[in-house]
Amino acid sequence: MPIVNIDLAWLNRLLGKPYETAVLQESLEQIGCDVEDVVEIERSRCPQCGSLVEHPLGQEEMKCCTMCGYESEASFKQVGSQQVMRLDLLADRPDLFDVGGLARALRGTLGIESGLPKYTTKGSSLEVHVDKSVTEKDSHRPFIACAVMTLPPVDETSLAAIMKLQENLHWGVGRDRKLASIGVYDFSTITGPINYTTIDPDKDPFVPLGMPGKKMTGRQILESHPKGMAYAELLAQHKRYPVLVDSKGQVLSMPPIINSEETKVKQGTTRVFIDVTGISRAAVTKSLDTLVCSLAEIGGTIETVQVIHHDDTTNTTPDLQPRTAAIELSEAKRWLGLPLDEVSLAASLRRMRFDVGERGARSEERVQSKKTSLLTPHSSPLTVSFPAYRTDIRHMVDLFEDVAIGFGYANIEPRLVKSMTVGAPRPEEVLSDRARQVLIGLGFSEIMSLPLTTEEQQFERLRMLAPERYPQVANPKLKAYNVVRTHLMGGLMEALRENRRRVMPLRFFEIDNTAGLDEAAITGASEERRVAFVEIGRESGYATARSTVDSLLRELGWQPTYAAIDHPTFVPGRAATLTVAGQEIGILGEVHPEVLTNFGLTYPVAMAEITLQRIF
Amino acid sequence: MSDEILLNEAAYAVWQTVRERGPIELGEVVKITGVDQAQVSAAATDASTQGFFKITETFKEELAISEGARALYEAGLPEFLAASKLHQSGGEMAMPEFVEWAKRKNVAVNDIFKWGAARNWIERIKDSSGLRISLTAARRNNPDAIPSDIALLTRMHWHGSCFLDELDSETQPDLIRELLSKRPELAKIKQRTTRSLNLTEKGTGAFKSRNVRQVKERNTLTPEDLESGAWREIKLRPYDVTLAARDVHPAKIHPLRKIIEQTRRAFLEMGFAEVVSPMIESAFWNFDALFQPQDHPARDMQDTFYMRDPAAAPLPGEWDGLQSVHGGPEKGVRIHFPTRQGSANEEMVPDTFVDIVNNVRLTHETGWETGSEGWGYTWSPEVSRQVVLRTHTTAATIRALAANPNPPGKFFCVGWTYRNETISFKHLPVFHQVDGIIIDEEANLASLMGTLQEFYSKMGFGRVKFKPAFYPYTEPSVDVVVYMESRGKWIEMGGAGIFRPEVTLPLGCKYPVLAWGLGIERLAMIRFGLADIRELYRPSLDALEEVPLCR
Repeated sequence: MPIVNIDLAWLNRLLGKPYETAVLQESLEQIGCDVEDVVEIERSRCPQCGSLVEHPLGQEEMKCCTMCGYESEASFKQVGSQQVMRLDLLADRPDLFDVGGLARALRGTLGIESGLPKYTTKGSSLEVHVDKSVTEKDSHRPFIACAVMTLPPVDETSLAAIMKLQENLHWGVGRDRKLASIGVYDFSTITGPINYTTIDPDKDPFVPLGMPGKKMTGRQILESHPKGMAYAELLAQHKRYPVLVDSKGQVLSMPPIINSEETKVKQGTTRVFIDVTGISRAAVTKSLDTLVCSLAEIGGTIETVQVIHHDDTTNTTPDLQPRTAAIELSEAKRWLGLPLDEVSLAASLRRMRFDVGERGARSEERVQSKKTSLLTPHSSPLTVSFPAYRTDIRHMVDLFEDVAIGFGYANIEPRLVKSMTVGAPRPEEVLSDRARQVLIGLGFSEIMSLPLTTEEQQFERLRMLAPERYPQVANPKLKAYNVVRTHLMGGLMEALRENRRRVMPLRFFEIDNTAGLDEAAITGASEERRVAFVEIGRESGYATARSTVDSLLRELGWQPTYAAIDHPTFVPGRAATLTVAGQEIGILGEVHPEVLTNFGLTYPVAMAEITLQRIF
Repeated sequence: MSDEILLNEAAYAVWQTVRERGPIELGEVVKITGVDQAQVSAAATDASTQGFFKITETFKEELAISEGARALYEAGLPEFLAASKLHQSGGEMAMPEFVEWAKRKNVAVNDIFKWGAARNWIERIKDSSGLRISLTAARRNNPDAIPSDIALLTRMHWHGSCFLDELDSETQPDLIRELLSKRPELAKIKQRTTRSLNLTEKGTGAFKSRNVRQVKERNTLTPEDLESGAWREIKLRPYDVTLAARDVHPAKIHPLRKIIEQTRRAFLEMGFAEVVSPMIESAFWNFDALFQPQDHPARDMQDTFYMRDPAAAPLPGEWDGLQSVHGGPEKGVRIHFPTRQGSANEEMVPDTFVDIVNNVRLTHETGWETGSEGWGYTWSPEVSRQVVLRTHTTAATIRALAANPNPPGKFFCVGWTYRNETISFKHLPVFHQVDGIIIDEEANLASLMGTLQEFYSKMGFGRVKFKPAFYPYTEPSVDVVVYMESRGKWIEMGGAGIFRPEVTLPLGCKYPVLAWGLGIERLAMIRFGLADIRELYRPSLDALEEVPLCR
């Protein structure tokens, strides 16, 4: 999970007075933000794209730009240091990804301000025209939402923060730019109206960010620009690439890959144009709403943009009207087990920056408009208004969580359910426990090995022929994990190999599940609980394996019969199957010398494996 | 008798000898009793400490004849050879001539002068005729006299030792000391402490009142000793019980298994029934039933192991593996499933079970009757039939919930879970999780916290706090933070929450369901103080022996 550095001085400025770090930390934890630590970080500047990059004080200095991918021999030039709080990002709360959003939430929990934050917008004159080509199958990126914002003159710190927020929204909402990606531009370099259209990958070159003076076509960017290479896969199916172009034909960006160098936001920029494009309408809207609300928290004012579609329909973005949802007090009490009334429910929600309206107030919004089976119809719900950026609210239970957080997890009195239930172990665990006691009593040490293995370890080294079919993994990252084990003998032989320099004799056992293919099983794979053991030493052989098996089965109360079997893992004439109640459940014997040498062993080995119970 | 003095055979012999012959030297006691010196010494010291013996220490000079001394003497000592030569030469020789002779005879001239002078036999004379070497007058007058040291050694037959202090003054002990003290090839003179032993009054009294008894002392008893009753007369030698003994290690349960067993016990004690689910699981139960959309990143090939074989699993209701056994289709499906008793392997699941797939599909697409909007995409049964290695044991508890949707119910599962990761000190592609659920009319956030508090206290964490978290299929979600006494700090231990209605309602459960899970390996690493998760699976006996059962 990514970590974000929050400038403490800036956060305190936004809160209106300096708070002790411990107080902030405690408060952030209450809303679910994990503070990793508080550290001094240094900032340095990428000589290529001019971005500020951060690294903890005392760590190796930056030589590689996290923005454009530029690498240099020498360290980047340092531009200062600051105290930051390192926070784990909470995946479902992009509104807490930056200093502005955190300040907004903290004002609620610290009691500085409560209820719905209000965001006003005014109309800008900017229009964005959407070309039909972005909706076509082979150049598909159909959704776009835009805004214009006036900001306090951008400085080093705010520039870094804006870029970091953009990056984190790409991660948290845009699914690494796949669903949605954001562009931010210096408004003064753009001449409206803007066209959202597509270009031929090999025509219309422009200067991409981080490559001043170097014109590149779309294809060249994907092939040789660091960011282009990193995200080329997102346009792999595209015949034409999406671009934003202003009325003078200047390319603003080629989403979701890169912006142009000429339109980049610089120190001193006071007005920005923002676009979000993508293949998910929800992700596009969420990204824009979250971004503009957070920028408003650090002093920005929001202006709307007219998005004019190819069919001449128009919508105005962003739409920051508060959303509403219904909440039922009795359901909240049932779900949370808290002593709530309407007043405390509303207070909890207001701490979370929601507003609670009149009982039964009508709402156009989605959640209330649907019949929910959670609701018992004996009371009428309250209406909760929540900010546009809280797109994680998709159900009444999501409001319950905010009620609980607003109430404070620390203030909840834990209790137990009163119903009586009977504990019961699984039967194979009972058997396993008995087998474990017997084998430990006989001086066998328990090992545990991983249930994923390879054909070589599972079959070849034990002289077995791999069967035609066995449980196989399709996509292991490591080749060492492409077979789900069908027996336990490989792990035990491996344990002998690992301990071959110890004083003999050695005894090991393992009790665990094995898998097999079986079309009659519920997922097409059978599963069994098995016990297996090995013994190595001068005296080890069929007779000692047999003694141990006999003793184990006696304690389990099972009467075995034995029959000779030819098995490639064992010495011919010194291996047997064992049958209990008409079912063949195991094998035992003296291990074949070739197997011994495969595992680097120089003493005879006795081994057995027995199925305790079929599970699936 | 309390004041009886029980002595082992050796000590008894010492006491007896001292009684009969005391005062007697320790060395004598050794000779008489045949008991070795260390034992005699120990017995005497013991007796002296308790006031029965008086030990008198005297310091003496012992003259011990060196091995080979006789041969040296018989071959001729340098001063003897020189004296005899001088005698033959009329009592004196010119120096160069003498040196010439000595060289020829291979006799060290230095030794001749050193010992010749010491015996007052030979002297150097320097006058006008040059340097000469000459017998002294004393030797000239008495050329065959045997010096006192040689006389003593001869009397002792060139063997053994004697104490100089015990010699008659006639034998000239002082001269002997002077002559032999620097001639180790003939004899060595050492300072010796001799200890003379005698009974004290208390010692004599003990014998008089017949309080001194002999017992046999042994290292071990034989079966014969025990059968015959001889053990009564035998004293087992006391040991230095502070010394270390040989290192041995028991065969034992694997450390990780022990933690799994402890976890299982915690759940069983709290009234939970144990359930299982296949490791090789359908995407339906692993993801879809938990309201994870089919395009969710967790379902990527990057993160999840997909099976090549088996490649597809039937959805609930499609599975007829046992129908052929039971003779044709039935109403509902006979399914191989965990039950509340945990004993039977199959049970008739309710008719609604076959609706589950449809409910789940509708919930994903539109929210169905759950009060949710769903994910708004077209759900694919094909994607749901894909077979994965289960990514969490929640797959087991969700199956248990589907089979037992009505309260009250408490279920848990411990088992292997799989993530398509590379190996590092922090991650293995296979590890254990435990998951528990409670289906109850009183299930709510407060009872979730109470249950977690109880559970973690059974796991050894007395102090627990909760903080908000995000998990995709629970709402609210909770992270459990426990206080670790040994490290003096709070650490995050596991996740928990109440299943979303989008999860529970499609399975026919109309009540809140509490759910929580925990990674067993992480717990084990914290408990055993390991920094590398791979250590847990190293089958090295050294490593296994190292972890005591108490950890």
